[in-house]
Amino acid sequence: MIRFVVGGAVDKQKVAQMIKEIGGDKVSVEIKSDIEAAMAVKNGKADYYVGACATGGGGALAMAMAILTAQKCATISMPGKPPQEADVKKAVAEGKVAFGFTNDHIEKAVPYIVNAILEK
Amino acid sequence: MKIVLIALIGALAAILANGGIAVFNDGLRPIMPEYLEGRMKKAELAATSFALSFGLVIGFGIPISIGATILLVHSILLGTDIIGTWSPKGKIGYAVAGTIGALWGIGLLVGLQWIVNVFKKLPVNVFDSMGQIGTPVIFAFAAFPALAVAYQYGVKNGLITLTISALVRAIVARFSPIVIGTSKIALNPEGMALVTGMIVLLIYAMREKKEENSTNIAALFTERVDRIKKNVWVLAIMGALVAAATSLHILAGDPISLSLVSKGNYTDAALVALARAIGFVPLVATTAIATGVYGPVGMTFIFAAALFANNPLLAAILGFVIIFAEVYLLGGIAAFLDKFPGIKKSSDNIRTAMGQLLEVALLVGGANASNMALPGLGIFIVIGLYLLNEIAGRPIVRMAVGPIAAILVGILANILAVFGLYVPPVK
Repeated sequence: MIRFVVGGAVDKQKVAQMIKEIGGDKVSVEIKSDIEAAMAVKNGKADYYVGACATGGGGALAMAMAILTAQKCATISMPGKPPQEADVKKAVAEGKVAFGFTNDHIEKAVPYIVNAILEK
Repeated sequence: MKIVLIALIGALAAILANGGIAVFNDGLRPIMPEYLEGRMKKAELAATSFALSFGLVIGFGIPISIGATILLVHSILLGTDIIGTWSPKGKIGYAVAGTIGALWGIGLLVGLQWIVNVFKKLPVNVFDSMGQIGTPVIFAFAAFPALAVAYQYGVKNGLITLTISALVRAIVARFSPIVIGTSKIALNPEGMALVTGMIVLLIYAMREKKEENSTNIAALFTERVDRIKKNVWVLAIMGALVAAATSLHILAGDPISLSLVSKGNYTDAALVALARAIGFVPLVATTAIATGVYGPVGMTFIFAAALFANNPLLAAILGFVIIFAEVYLLGGIAAFLDKFPGIKKSSDNIRTAMGQLLEVALLVGGANASNMALPGLGIFIVIGLYLLNEIAGRPIVRMAVGPIAAILVGILANILAVFGLYVPPVK
Protein backbone atom coordinates (compact mmCIF):
# COMPACT_ATOMS: atom_id res chain seq x y z
CA MET A 1 0.00 0.00 0.00
CA ILE A 2 1.44 3.35 -1.04
CA ARG A 3 0.21 6.24 1.05
CA PHE A 4 -0.44 9.52 -0.80
CA VAL A 5 -1.27 12.83 0.79
CA VAL A 6 -2.82 15.60 -1.26
CA GLY A 7 -1.60 19.02 -0.20
CA GLY A 8 -1.23 21.95 -2.55
CA ALA A 9 -3.62 24.80 -2.96
CA VAL A 10 -6.38 24.10 -5.47
CA ASP A 11 -8.48 21.25 -6.86
CA LYS A 12 -7.54 18.90 -4.02
CA GLN A 13 -10.72 16.84 -4.36
CA LYS A 14 -10.10 16.27 -8.05
CA VAL A 15 -6.49 15.22 -7.49
CA ALA A 16 -7.39 12.84 -4.67
CA GLN A 17 -10.23 11.24 -6.63
CA MET A 18 -7.96 10.70 -9.58
CA ILE A 19 -5.20 9.05 -7.53
CA LYS A 20 -7.76 6.65 -6.10
CA GLU A 21 -9.19 5.83 -9.53
CA ILE A 22 -5.78 5.01 -10.94
CA GLY A 23 -4.21 3.34 -7.93
CA GLY A 24 -7.26 1.40 -6.72
CA ASP A 25 -6.45 -0.92 -3.81
CA LYS A 26 -2.75 -0.29 -4.08
CA VAL A 27 -2.97 3.24 -2.76
CA SER A 28 -4.45 5.22 0.09
CA VAL A 29 -5.22 8.90 -0.31
CA GLU A 30 -5.76 11.60 2.26
CA ILE A 31 -6.51 15.28 1.69
CA LYS A 32 -4.72 17.57 4.13
CA SER A 33 -3.67 21.18 4.43
CA ASP A 34 -0.34 21.71 2.69
CA ILE A 35 1.52 22.05 5.99
CA GLU A 36 0.00 18.94 7.52
CA ALA A 37 0.53 16.98 4.31
CA ALA A 38 4.23 17.86 4.21
CA MET A 39 4.59 17.07 7.92
CA ALA A 40 2.98 13.66 7.33
CA VAL A 41 5.63 12.77 4.76
CA LYS A 42 8.42 14.08 6.98
CA ASN A 43 7.19 12.03 9.95
CA GLY A 44 6.83 8.90 7.84
CA LYS A 45 3.03 8.80 8.08
CA ALA A 46 2.75 9.12 4.30
CA ASP A 47 4.98 8.19 1.37
CA TYR A 48 4.27 10.78 -1.29
CA TYR A 49 2.99 14.35 -1.41
CA VAL A 50 1.14 15.69 -4.44
CA GLY A 51 -0.33 19.14 -4.88
CA ALA A 52 -1.68 21.46 -7.54
CA CYS A 53 -1.81 25.21 -7.82
CA ALA A 54 -1.91 27.82 -10.56
CA THR A 55 1.87 27.88 -11.07
CA GLY A 56 2.95 24.34 -10.22
CA GLY A 57 5.41 25.45 -7.58
CA GLY A 58 3.83 27.99 -5.25
CA GLY A 59 0.77 26.83 -3.37
CA ALA A 60 1.48 23.35 -4.67
CA LEU A 61 4.94 22.88 -3.23
CA ALA A 62 5.84 25.81 -0.98
CA MET A 63 5.32 23.98 2.30
CA ALA A 64 6.79 20.75 0.97
CA MET A 65 9.92 22.64 -0.03
CA ALA A 66 10.16 24.38 3.30
CA ILE A 67 9.59 21.25 5.36
CA LEU A 68 11.05 18.45 3.20
CA THR A 69 13.75 20.56 1.40
CA ALA A 70 13.76 21.39 -2.29
CA GLN A 71 15.89 18.32 -3.10
CA LYS A 72 12.88 16.10 -2.36
CA CYS A 73 10.46 18.12 -4.49
CA ALA A 74 9.77 18.21 -8.21
CA THR A 75 7.67 20.68 -10.16
CA ILE A 76 6.47 18.60 -13.09
CA SER A 77 4.38 21.12 -14.97
CA MET A 78 4.28 24.88 -15.25
CA PRO A 79 1.86 27.28 -16.95
CA GLY A 80 2.12 26.64 -20.67
CA LYS A 81 4.46 23.69 -20.12
CA PRO A 82 2.55 20.39 -19.87
CA PRO A 83 4.10 17.48 -17.94
CA GLN A 84 6.34 14.94 -19.70
CA GLU A 85 6.07 11.30 -18.70
CA ALA A 86 9.83 10.72 -18.97
CA ASP A 87 10.58 13.63 -16.63
CA VAL A 88 8.14 12.33 -14.05
CA LYS A 89 9.68 8.83 -14.17
CA LYS A 90 13.12 10.36 -13.74
CA ALA A 91 11.99 12.42 -10.75
CA VAL A 92 10.47 9.35 -9.09
CA ALA A 93 13.62 7.33 -9.77
CA GLU A 94 15.73 10.10 -8.23
CA GLY A 95 13.82 9.65 -5.00
CA LYS A 96 11.67 12.77 -5.08
CA VAL A 97 8.71 12.43 -2.75
CA ALA A 98 6.74 15.63 -3.38
CA PHE A 99 5.26 16.59 -6.73
CA GLY A 100 3.68 19.86 -7.76
CA PHE A 101 1.87 20.71 -10.98
CA THR A 102 -0.57 23.28 -12.32
CA ASN A 103 -4.29 22.62 -12.04
CA ASP A 104 -4.50 22.96 -15.83
CA HIS A 105 -2.54 19.74 -16.17
CA ILE A 106 -4.08 17.50 -13.51
CA GLU A 107 -5.46 15.01 -16.04
CA LYS A 108 -1.97 14.24 -17.29
CA ALA A 109 0.19 14.89 -14.26
CA VAL A 110 -1.64 12.64 -11.79
CA PRO A 111 -1.61 9.47 -13.94
CA TYR A 112 2.07 10.01 -14.78
CA ILE A 113 2.99 10.34 -11.11
CA VAL A 114 0.87 7.48 -9.78
CA ASN A 115 1.90 5.07 -12.53
CA ALA A 116 5.57 5.94 -12.20
CA ILE A 117 5.42 5.28 -8.46
CA LEU A 118 3.47 2.03 -8.84
CA GLU A 119 5.95 0.77 -11.45
CA LYS A 120 8.90 1.61 -9.26
CA MET B 1 1.97 60.86 -13.63
CA LYS B 2 0.67 57.48 -14.73
CA ILE B 3 3.91 56.75 -16.59
CA VAL B 4 6.03 57.80 -13.62
CA LEU B 5 3.98 55.65 -11.27
CA ILE B 6 4.23 52.56 -13.47
CA ALA B 7 7.97 53.15 -13.94
CA LEU B 8 8.47 53.37 -10.17
CA ILE B 9 6.45 50.19 -9.62
CA GLY B 10 8.47 48.33 -12.25
CA ALA B 11 11.77 49.60 -10.88
CA LEU B 12 11.09 48.91 -7.22
CA ALA B 13 9.53 45.49 -7.87
CA ALA B 14 12.54 44.42 -9.93
CA ILE B 15 14.87 45.60 -7.15
CA LEU B 16 12.85 43.71 -4.53
CA ALA B 17 13.08 40.56 -6.65
CA ASN B 18 16.79 41.11 -7.23
CA GLY B 19 17.46 41.40 -3.50
CA GLY B 20 15.26 38.41 -2.70
CA ILE B 21 13.05 40.67 -0.57
CA ALA B 22 9.81 40.06 -2.43
CA VAL B 23 8.72 38.13 -5.51
CA PHE B 24 5.26 38.17 -7.02
CA ASN B 25 5.01 34.60 -8.32
CA ASP B 26 3.97 32.38 -5.43
CA GLY B 27 5.74 29.53 -7.20
CA LEU B 28 9.05 31.36 -7.23
CA ARG B 29 8.93 32.26 -3.54
CA PRO B 30 9.72 28.76 -2.18
CA ILE B 31 12.78 28.56 -4.44
CA MET B 32 14.22 31.91 -3.31
CA PRO B 33 15.72 30.62 -0.02
CA GLU B 34 17.47 27.85 -1.95
CA TYR B 35 19.31 30.59 -3.84
CA LEU B 36 19.67 33.06 -0.97
CA GLU B 37 21.14 30.40 1.29
CA GLY B 38 23.54 29.17 -1.37
CA ARG B 39 22.04 25.82 -2.36
CA MET B 40 21.11 26.99 -5.85
CA LYS B 41 23.14 28.86 -8.44
CA LYS B 42 22.11 32.19 -9.95
CA ALA B 43 21.71 30.65 -13.41
CA GLU B 44 19.36 27.95 -12.11
CA LEU B 45 17.26 30.54 -10.29
CA ALA B 46 17.09 32.72 -13.39
CA ALA B 47 16.06 29.76 -15.55
CA THR B 48 13.40 28.65 -13.06
CA SER B 49 11.93 32.11 -12.67
CA PHE B 50 11.75 32.50 -16.43
CA ALA B 51 10.02 29.13 -16.85
CA LEU B 52 7.57 29.88 -14.04
CA SER B 53 6.61 33.38 -15.11
CA PHE B 54 7.09 33.88 -18.82
CA GLY B 55 4.15 31.74 -19.91
CA LEU B 56 1.86 33.62 -17.54
CA VAL B 57 3.01 37.05 -18.76
CA ILE B 58 2.45 36.21 -22.43
CA GLY B 59 -0.47 33.83 -22.11
CA PHE B 60 -2.39 35.39 -19.23
CA GLY B 61 -1.36 38.87 -18.07
CA ILE B 62 -1.07 40.62 -21.39
CA PRO B 63 -4.08 39.12 -23.28
CA ILE B 64 -6.42 39.88 -20.39
CA SER B 65 -5.02 43.40 -20.11
CA ILE B 66 -5.59 44.05 -23.82
CA GLY B 67 -9.25 43.08 -23.60
CA ALA B 68 -9.94 45.76 -21.01
CA THR B 69 -7.11 48.28 -21.52
CA ILE B 70 -6.18 48.10 -17.85
CA LEU B 71 -2.90 46.45 -16.91
CA LEU B 72 -3.37 43.21 -15.03
CA VAL B 73 -0.77 43.40 -12.27
CA HIS B 74 0.54 39.97 -13.30
CA SER B 75 1.87 41.32 -16.59
CA ILE B 76 4.12 43.83 -14.86
CA LEU B 77 5.11 41.99 -11.68
CA LEU B 78 5.77 38.58 -13.22
CA GLY B 79 8.02 40.42 -15.64
CA THR B 80 9.90 42.15 -12.80
CA ASP B 81 10.39 38.75 -11.11
CA ILE B 82 12.24 37.62 -14.21
CA ILE B 83 14.16 40.90 -14.54
CA GLY B 84 15.19 40.86 -10.89
CA THR B 85 16.40 37.28 -10.91
CA TRP B 86 18.29 37.73 -14.19
CA SER B 87 20.08 40.90 -13.06
CA PRO B 88 23.49 40.45 -11.40
CA LYS B 89 24.00 40.37 -7.65
CA GLY B 90 24.87 43.35 -5.46
CA LYS B 91 24.66 47.12 -5.96
CA ILE B 92 25.10 46.95 -9.73
CA GLY B 93 22.29 44.42 -9.81
CA TYR B 94 19.97 46.88 -8.07
CA ALA B 95 20.77 49.53 -10.67
CA VAL B 96 20.37 47.13 -13.59
CA ALA B 97 17.15 45.62 -12.23
CA GLY B 98 15.72 49.04 -11.39
CA THR B 99 16.40 50.46 -14.84
CA ILE B 100 15.09 47.49 -16.80
CA GLY B 101 12.13 47.18 -14.45
CA ALA B 102 11.17 50.82 -15.05
CA LEU B 103 11.48 50.37 -18.81
CA TRP B 104 9.35 47.21 -18.64
CA GLY B 105 6.60 49.08 -16.81
CA ILE B 106 6.65 52.01 -19.22
CA GLY B 107 6.81 49.65 -22.18
CA LEU B 108 3.71 47.77 -21.03
CA LEU B 109 1.66 50.90 -20.42
CA VAL B 110 2.69 52.58 -23.67
CA GLY B 111 2.44 49.30 -25.58
CA LEU B 112 -1.07 48.66 -24.31
CA GLN B 113 -2.18 52.15 -25.33
CA TRP B 114 -0.54 51.64 -28.72
CA ILE B 115 -2.34 48.35 -29.30
CA VAL B 116 -5.65 49.96 -28.34
CA ASN B 117 -5.02 52.80 -30.79
CA VAL B 118 -4.16 50.35 -33.55
CA PHE B 119 -7.34 48.37 -32.88
CA LYS B 120 -9.40 51.54 -33.11
CA LYS B 121 -7.86 52.54 -36.46
CA LEU B 122 -8.34 49.18 -38.18
CA PRO B 123 -10.88 48.92 -41.04
CA VAL B 124 -13.14 46.78 -38.88
CA ASN B 125 -13.35 48.38 -35.45
CA VAL B 126 -12.84 45.42 -33.16
CA PHE B 127 -12.13 47.52 -30.11
CA ASP B 128 -15.77 47.74 -29.04
CA SER B 129 -16.22 44.01 -29.41
CA MET B 130 -13.13 43.41 -27.25
CA GLY B 131 -15.03 45.06 -24.43
CA GLN B 132 -17.45 42.12 -24.55
CA ILE B 133 -14.79 39.73 -23.24
CA GLY B 134 -15.32 40.88 -19.68
CA THR B 135 -19.11 41.16 -19.77
CA PRO B 136 -20.06 37.66 -18.51
CA VAL B 137 -17.63 38.11 -15.62
CA ILE B 138 -19.63 41.11 -14.41
CA PHE B 139 -22.75 39.06 -13.82
CA ALA B 140 -21.21 35.71 -13.00
CA PHE B 141 -18.61 36.68 -10.42
CA ALA B 142 -21.06 36.68 -7.52
CA ALA B 143 -21.48 32.91 -7.92
CA PHE B 144 -18.02 31.90 -6.75
CA PRO B 145 -18.67 31.74 -2.99
CA ALA B 146 -21.39 29.16 -3.71
CA LEU B 147 -18.90 27.18 -5.75
CA ALA B 148 -16.37 27.33 -2.93
CA VAL B 149 -19.01 26.12 -0.44
CA ALA B 150 -19.84 23.23 -2.77
CA TYR B 151 -16.18 22.20 -2.89
CA GLN B 152 -15.80 22.27 0.84
CA TYR B 153 -19.20 21.19 2.18
CA GLY B 154 -20.84 19.32 -0.71
CA VAL B 155 -23.05 20.19 -3.62
CA LYS B 156 -26.20 20.46 -1.48
CA ASN B 157 -24.77 23.25 0.65
CA GLY B 158 -23.40 24.89 -2.46
CA LEU B 159 -26.86 24.89 -3.98
CA ILE B 160 -28.29 26.43 -0.80
CA THR B 161 -25.67 29.19 -0.93
CA LEU B 162 -26.33 29.83 -4.61
CA THR B 163 -30.07 30.05 -3.91
CA ILE B 164 -29.58 32.53 -1.05
CA SER B 165 -27.23 34.65 -3.20
CA ALA B 166 -29.65 34.61 -6.13
CA LEU B 167 -32.55 35.54 -3.87
CA VAL B 168 -30.64 38.48 -2.39
CA ARG B 169 -29.68 39.57 -5.89
CA ALA B 170 -33.29 39.48 -7.07
CA ILE B 171 -34.56 41.38 -4.02
CA VAL B 172 -31.86 44.05 -4.25
CA ALA B 173 -32.40 44.46 -8.00
CA ARG B 174 -36.14 44.96 -7.38
CA PHE B 175 -36.02 47.35 -4.43
CA SER B 176 -32.79 49.30 -4.90
CA PRO B 177 -32.37 52.23 -4.47
CA ILE B 178 -33.89 52.11 -1.02
CA VAL B 179 -35.43 55.43 -0.06
CA ILE B 180 -35.22 56.34 3.62
CA GLY B 181 -36.66 59.79 4.20
CA THR B 182 -34.89 62.01 1.71
CA SER B 183 -31.76 59.91 1.22
CA LYS B 184 -31.41 57.15 -1.32
CA ILE B 185 -29.22 54.12 -0.75
CA ALA B 186 -28.27 52.47 -4.02
CA LEU B 187 -27.25 48.87 -3.49
CA ASN B 188 -25.63 46.89 -6.22
CA PRO B 189 -27.29 43.50 -6.87
CA GLU B 190 -24.12 41.60 -7.82
CA GLY B 191 -22.10 43.13 -5.03
CA MET B 192 -24.72 42.23 -2.43
CA ALA B 193 -25.05 38.69 -3.78
CA LEU B 194 -21.29 38.29 -3.48
CA VAL B 195 -21.21 39.60 0.08
CA THR B 196 -24.07 37.26 1.02
CA GLY B 197 -22.27 34.26 -0.45
CA MET B 198 -19.04 35.15 1.32
CA ILE B 199 -20.82 35.50 4.66
CA VAL B 200 -22.41 32.07 4.25
CA LEU B 201 -19.03 30.58 3.33
CA LEU B 202 -17.33 32.13 6.36
CA ILE B 203 -20.10 30.96 8.68
CA TYR B 204 -19.63 27.39 7.43
CA ALA B 205 -15.85 27.72 7.69
CA MET B 206 -15.77 29.13 11.23
CA ARG B 207 -17.69 26.11 12.50
CA GLU B 208 -14.93 23.68 11.59
CA LYS B 209 -12.97 22.55 14.61
CA LYS B 210 -9.22 22.59 15.05
CA GLU B 211 -7.40 19.49 13.90
CA GLU B 212 -5.36 17.61 16.43
CA ASN B 213 -1.59 18.08 16.64
CA SER B 214 -1.57 20.77 13.97
CA THR B 215 1.60 22.72 13.39
CA ASN B 216 2.00 26.47 13.76
CA ILE B 217 4.56 27.26 11.09
CA ALA B 218 5.38 30.75 12.39
CA ALA B 219 7.14 29.09 15.32
CA LEU B 220 9.11 26.84 12.94
CA PHE B 221 10.55 29.68 10.88
CA THR B 222 11.07 32.64 13.23
CA GLU B 223 14.32 33.85 11.66
CA ARG B 224 12.64 33.99 8.26
CA VAL B 225 9.76 36.04 9.60
CA ASP B 226 12.32 38.43 11.09
CA ARG B 227 13.92 38.83 7.67
CA ILE B 228 10.61 40.08 6.24
CA LYS B 229 10.13 42.47 9.16
CA LYS B 230 13.58 43.92 8.49
CA ASN B 231 12.41 44.92 5.01
CA VAL B 232 9.02 46.26 6.04
CA TRP B 233 9.64 49.91 5.02
CA VAL B 234 10.53 49.21 1.44
CA LEU B 235 7.69 46.68 1.15
CA ALA B 236 5.25 49.27 2.45
CA ILE B 237 6.44 51.81 -0.15
CA MET B 238 5.84 49.19 -2.84
CA GLY B 239 2.32 48.72 -1.45
CA ALA B 240 1.70 52.48 -1.57
CA LEU B 241 2.77 52.70 -5.23
CA VAL B 242 0.63 49.74 -6.32
CA ALA B 243 -2.38 51.06 -4.41
CA ALA B 244 -2.05 54.50 -5.99
CA ALA B 245 -1.88 52.99 -9.48
CA THR B 246 -4.89 50.79 -8.74
CA SER B 247 -6.98 53.75 -7.62
CA LEU B 248 -6.09 55.52 -10.88
CA HIS B 249 -7.48 52.48 -12.74
CA ILE B 250 -4.30 51.80 -14.67
CA LEU B 251 -3.64 48.59 -12.78
CA ALA B 252 -5.86 45.80 -11.45
CA GLY B 253 -5.06 42.92 -9.15
CA ASP B 254 -7.10 40.14 -10.77
CA PRO B 255 -9.12 39.52 -13.95
CA ILE B 256 -12.51 39.82 -12.24
CA SER B 257 -11.98 43.23 -10.66
CA LEU B 258 -10.22 44.31 -13.86
CA SER B 259 -13.36 43.57 -15.88
CA LEU B 260 -15.50 45.35 -13.32
CA VAL B 261 -13.26 48.43 -13.22
CA SER B 262 -13.26 48.62 -17.00
CA LYS B 263 -17.07 48.87 -16.90
CA GLY B 264 -17.00 51.43 -14.11
CA ASN B 265 -18.36 49.16 -11.35
CA TYR B 266 -15.81 50.25 -8.76
CA THR B 267 -17.63 49.13 -5.64
CA ASP B 268 -18.15 45.62 -7.03
CA ALA B 269 -14.51 45.54 -8.07
CA ALA B 270 -13.47 46.47 -4.54
CA LEU B 271 -15.70 43.76 -3.03
CA VAL B 272 -14.26 41.14 -5.36
CA ALA B 273 -10.73 42.27 -4.57
CA LEU B 274 -11.55 41.95 -0.88
CA ALA B 275 -12.99 38.45 -1.27
CA ARG B 276 -10.00 37.42 -3.34
CA ALA B 277 -7.64 38.80 -0.72
CA ILE B 278 -9.25 36.54 1.87
CA GLY B 279 -8.48 33.69 -0.50
CA PHE B 280 -4.85 34.71 -0.73
CA VAL B 281 -4.07 35.35 2.94
CA PRO B 282 -3.09 31.76 3.78
CA LEU B 283 -1.10 31.22 0.58
CA VAL B 284 0.89 34.43 0.89
CA ALA B 285 1.25 34.18 4.67
CA THR B 286 2.43 30.57 4.69
CA THR B 287 4.81 30.89 1.73
CA ALA B 288 6.18 34.14 3.17
CA ILE B 289 6.70 32.71 6.64
CA ALA B 290 8.36 29.57 5.31
CA THR B 291 10.70 31.45 2.95
CA GLY B 292 11.40 34.89 4.42
CA VAL B 293 10.45 36.38 1.05
CA TYR B 294 7.34 38.52 0.81
CA GLY B 295 5.18 39.50 -2.16
CA PRO B 296 5.34 42.98 -3.72
CA VAL B 297 1.56 43.33 -3.33
CA GLY B 298 1.36 41.48 -0.02
CA MET B 299 -1.86 39.60 0.58
CA THR B 300 -3.60 41.72 -2.09
CA PHE B 301 -5.73 43.66 0.42
CA ILE B 302 -4.17 46.83 -0.99
CA PHE B 303 -6.17 46.40 -4.21
CA ALA B 304 -9.46 46.36 -2.32
CA ALA B 305 -8.46 49.37 -0.22
CA ALA B 306 -7.35 51.31 -3.30
CA LEU B 307 -10.65 50.68 -5.08
CA PHE B 308 -12.69 51.63 -2.02
CA ALA B 309 -10.61 54.81 -1.55
CA ASN B 310 -10.80 55.80 -5.26
CA ASN B 311 -8.26 58.56 -4.64
CA PRO B 312 -4.57 58.03 -5.38
CA LEU B 313 -3.19 59.84 -2.34
CA LEU B 314 -5.53 58.17 0.13
CA ALA B 315 -4.91 54.83 -1.61
CA ALA B 316 -1.15 55.26 -1.27
CA ILE B 317 -1.45 55.92 2.45
CA LEU B 318 -3.74 52.91 2.90
CA GLY B 319 -1.42 50.74 0.82
CA PHE B 320 1.51 51.69 3.00
CA VAL B 321 -0.31 51.08 6.26
CA ILE B 322 -1.85 47.78 5.11
CA ILE B 323 1.45 46.20 4.04
CA PHE B 324 3.06 47.37 7.27
CA ALA B 325 0.26 45.78 9.27
CA GLU B 326 0.32 42.55 7.23
CA VAL B 327 4.02 42.05 7.86
CA TYR B 328 3.72 42.60 11.59
CA LEU B 329 0.63 40.39 11.81
CA LEU B 330 2.21 37.44 9.95
CA GLY B 331 2.74 35.39 13.10
CA GLY B 332 -0.73 36.22 14.37
CA ILE B 333 -2.32 35.30 11.05
CA ALA B 334 -0.58 31.93 11.08
CA ALA B 335 -1.85 31.28 14.60
CA PHE B 336 -5.38 32.31 13.59
CA LEU B 337 -5.38 30.01 10.57
CA ASP B 338 -4.16 27.24 12.81
CA LYS B 339 -7.14 27.79 15.09
CA PHE B 340 -9.69 27.88 12.27
CA PRO B 341 -8.65 25.23 9.73
CA GLY B 342 -11.93 25.76 7.88
CA ILE B 343 -10.85 29.29 6.92
CA LYS B 344 -7.59 28.06 5.45
CA LYS B 345 -9.40 25.32 3.56
CA SER B 346 -12.04 27.72 2.29
CA SER B 347 -9.35 30.06 1.03
CA ASP B 348 -7.97 27.23 -1.11
CA ASN B 349 -11.47 26.60 -2.36
CA ILE B 350 -12.12 30.30 -3.03
CA ARG B 351 -9.12 30.31 -5.35
CA THR B 352 -10.21 27.10 -7.07
CA ALA B 353 -13.71 28.54 -7.49
CA MET B 354 -12.56 31.91 -8.84
CA GLY B 355 -10.30 30.17 -11.32
CA GLN B 356 -13.05 27.94 -12.63
CA LEU B 357 -15.55 30.77 -12.82
CA LEU B 358 -13.10 32.80 -14.88
CA GLU B 359 -12.38 29.88 -17.19
CA VAL B 360 -16.05 29.67 -18.12
CA ALA B 361 -16.85 33.39 -18.06
CA LEU B 362 -13.87 34.44 -20.15
CA LEU B 363 -14.53 31.68 -22.68
CA VAL B 364 -18.13 32.83 -23.08
CA GLY B 365 -16.94 36.44 -23.18
CA GLY B 366 -14.34 35.62 -25.80
CA ALA B 367 -16.97 33.85 -27.88
CA ASN B 368 -19.37 36.82 -27.60
CA ALA B 369 -16.67 39.31 -28.50
CA SER B 370 -15.59 37.22 -31.48
CA ASN B 371 -19.15 36.86 -32.64
CA MET B 372 -19.51 40.64 -32.59
CA ALA B 373 -16.29 41.15 -34.53
CA LEU B 374 -16.95 38.39 -37.04
CA PRO B 375 -20.50 36.97 -36.76
CA GLY B 376 -20.75 33.18 -36.86
CA LEU B 377 -17.19 32.46 -37.87
CA GLY B 378 -16.01 34.11 -34.65
CA ILE B 379 -17.71 31.58 -32.37
CA PHE B 380 -16.58 28.76 -34.63
CA ILE B 381 -12.96 29.84 -34.26
CA VAL B 382 -13.05 30.47 -30.50
CA ILE B 383 -14.57 27.09 -29.65
CA GLY B 384 -12.35 25.36 -32.17
CA LEU B 385 -9.22 26.90 -30.68
CA TYR B 386 -10.37 26.13 -27.14
CA LEU B 387 -10.78 22.45 -27.96
CA LEU B 388 -7.50 22.28 -29.86
CA ASN B 389 -5.74 23.76 -26.83
CA GLU B 390 -7.35 21.08 -24.66
CA ILE B 391 -6.19 18.26 -26.94
CA ALA B 392 -2.70 19.73 -27.17
CA GLY B 393 -2.36 19.31 -23.39
CA ARG B 394 -3.12 22.98 -22.65
CA PRO B 395 -0.03 24.85 -23.75
CA ILE B 396 -2.07 27.99 -23.09
CA VAL B 397 -3.65 28.55 -19.67
CA ARG B 398 -7.34 27.71 -20.01
CA MET B 399 -8.44 31.07 -18.67
CA ALA B 400 -6.59 32.95 -21.40
CA VAL B 401 -7.88 30.98 -24.39
CA GLY B 402 -11.07 33.08 -24.74
CA PRO B 403 -9.29 36.46 -24.70
CA ILE B 404 -6.45 35.28 -26.96
CA ALA B 405 -8.88 33.72 -29.45
CA ALA B 406 -10.95 36.93 -29.46
CA ILE B 407 -7.86 39.00 -30.25
CA LEU B 408 -6.96 36.61 -33.08
CA VAL B 409 -10.50 36.78 -34.46
CA GLY B 410 -10.32 40.58 -34.33
CA ILE B 411 -7.14 40.51 -36.40
CA LEU B 412 -8.63 37.92 -38.76
CA ALA B 413 -11.75 40.05 -39.31
CA ASN B 414 -9.51 42.87 -40.51
CA ILE B 415 -7.44 40.65 -42.76
CA LEU B 416 -10.61 39.29 -44.35
CA ALA B 417 -11.98 42.81 -44.74
CA VAL B 418 -8.82 43.98 -46.49
CA PHE B 419 -9.16 41.14 -49.01
CA GLY B 420 -12.85 41.84 -49.47
CA LEU B 421 -13.87 38.51 -47.95
CA TYR B 422 -15.80 40.10 -45.11
CA VAL B 423 -18.02 43.16 -45.27
CA PRO B 424 -18.62 44.59 -41.81
CA PRO B 425 -22.28 45.49 -41.17
CA VAL B 426 -23.03 49.19 -41.32
CA LYS B 427 -24.22 50.39 -37.93
